[in-house]
Amino acid sequence: MKTVRKMMGIGVRRGWAEFVHLVKDRKEQAGQLLGTVGVFVLLLLWIGDEPVKGTDVSSGTLMTAGFLAFTITSGGLLSLAMMIAADREDGTMLRLRATAGGIPVYLIGRGVTVLCQIVLQCGLMLGIGLALGSVTFPSSPADWLTLAWVVPLGTLAVVSLGAAIGSVLPSPKTAAVIMGLPMMGAMLISGVMLPMSYMPEPVQWIAQALPLYWQGLGLRSVFLPDSMLAAEIGGAWRLPETAAVLGAWAVAGLLLAAWLLRRATRRESGSRLAERRLAAQAAN
Amino acid sequence: MSTAISVRGLRMAYGRAEVLKGVDLDIREGEIVALLGPNGAGKTTTIEILEGFRNRSGGEVSVLGTDPQRGGDAWRARLGVVLQAWQDHKRWGVRELLAHMGSYYDNPRDPDELLAALGLTGQASQQVGLLSGGQRRRLDVAIGIVGRPELLFLDEPTTGFDPEARREFHRLVERLATEDGMTILLTTHDLAEAERLAGRIAILLGGKIAVCGDAEDLARAVQAPSRVGWIEDGERRTRATDDPSGVVWELQARFGGPVPGLEVRRPTLEESYLDLVGRAA
Repeated sequence: MKTVRKMMGIGVRRGWAEFVHLVKDRKEQAGQLLGTVGVFVLLLLWIGDEPVKGTDVSSGTLMTAGFLAFTITSGGLLSLAMMIAADREDGTMLRLRATAGGIPVYLIGRGVTVLCQIVLQCGLMLGIGLALGSVTFPSSPADWLTLAWVVPLGTLAVVSLGAAIGSVLPSPKTAAVIMGLPMMGAMLISGVMLPMSYMPEPVQWIAQALPLYWQGLGLRSVFLPDSMLAAEIGGAWRLPETAAVLGAWAVAGLLLAAWLLRRATRRESGSRLAERRLAAQAAN
Repeated sequence: MSTAISVRGLRMAYGRAEVLKGVDLDIREGEIVALLGPNGAGKTTTIEILEGFRNRSGGEVSVLGTDPQRGGDAWRARLGVVLQAWQDHKRWGVRELLAHMGSYYDNPRDPDELLAALGLTGQASQQVGLLSGGQRRRLDVAIGIVGRPELLFLDEPTTGFDPEARREFHRLVERLATEDGMTILLTTHDLAEAERLAGRIAILLGGKIAVCGDAEDLARAVQAPSRVGWIEDGERRTRATDDPSGVVWELQARFGGPVPGLEVRRPTLEESYLDLVGRAA
């Protein structure tokens, strides 16, 4: 028990240190923030105060729900997968494999880093949205309650999936190539940028299989009034379904991640690392 | 002295290619042993099996009394591992990383003392990714020993070092062995390094340990003949022999006294080693 607590402590400190290094790396940070918070702020300034057609809800509020959902998903899936792929390529994972207790500490640390990043970006978006007056916080306790479970559950689902994907991708570059387009596609069809009612029914079914749609739906239920329900599938917020699908993704993701990460860490060795480094150099 | 590493009949095959064909090796506690061999001989494969990073195809292996394939965290905490060329944790500060890696252990060395011992005090607040090759390597060793391991693995530790850095590194390894009684297994393809550092040298050839012993054992085992030279009738003569003392005796008897221009040259370790590698190839 004592060692579990100790590992947790080291993992959290490690994750925080990695996060601080990321924040200090200006190039990295600029790339991260411009792509999400920057675009969000531009859109807010441009059309944030206009009401959504046929309603009295501001576009800014609608965009906030969508951007938060997308930030959580891309942070958990894409950033984490790329971090893990990079850690395998440069030997970070092997270093920790050579250290007693290193792998659990590593995983806790990576989880903490990604959560800090998600919190930073979401916090910036909410803060700027509030300051510009185009975002309003939910008023009812029920909405706050939904926020309190939908964000952690959705985050758990994408973080575990990201860890699973990161442990099979050969390098961070392939991670970006392989995952970039599907992420864009998911963003377009999952209702976080465009209303679901724009989509043909087969596309709606695909979107409803993905965690991003449900994360977005849950967040819209928090930030939007019920007068916006006309744009949703079935005309309801479908919170029980949201919990069920995100929960299922979280369980599947955790099982998959546990299996694939164990496999990946077991395979790490100095000569495999050298082979991958040679391949990476040859590709440059 | 008890045994730190015991290997019996170790075999390793990748698909059909058999890299290790029955390696036997014993290393006592407190010993420095060099695993020497040409590139591709299976040195890294052997060390990775001992470190528990790779599962063997056959044979018995015991490292600190445990089969590496079943070694848990308590076992791993007693090992120090320095692999070839790390590139990890580039964004971390030098002291920050060393203190972090120490925090996994119950009784770590003090990071500042360790940095001082390795001549890295000036780089304490520098980013790991900005260190020079030699500094980076010393940091790798610092991380390898921060948890006070009983057994340290060094895989090709001085590849890419300039002569000065190499000398510094050799002094450091000697200090670790004498002051801390650490058992050290290092791999190298540099014979001079093996001779300088190790009490015993094990030569890995053709998937087996061809010779294991100190420099004299090695020279004796390869039996590269000695050369006896002298001047007779105004001409330089040489004779290759395994019994130089007998030849000199015979010459003295023939000359009835001192032998002009007498020269007895025993094969250098390097000649013996190259002779051995050449015969195996």
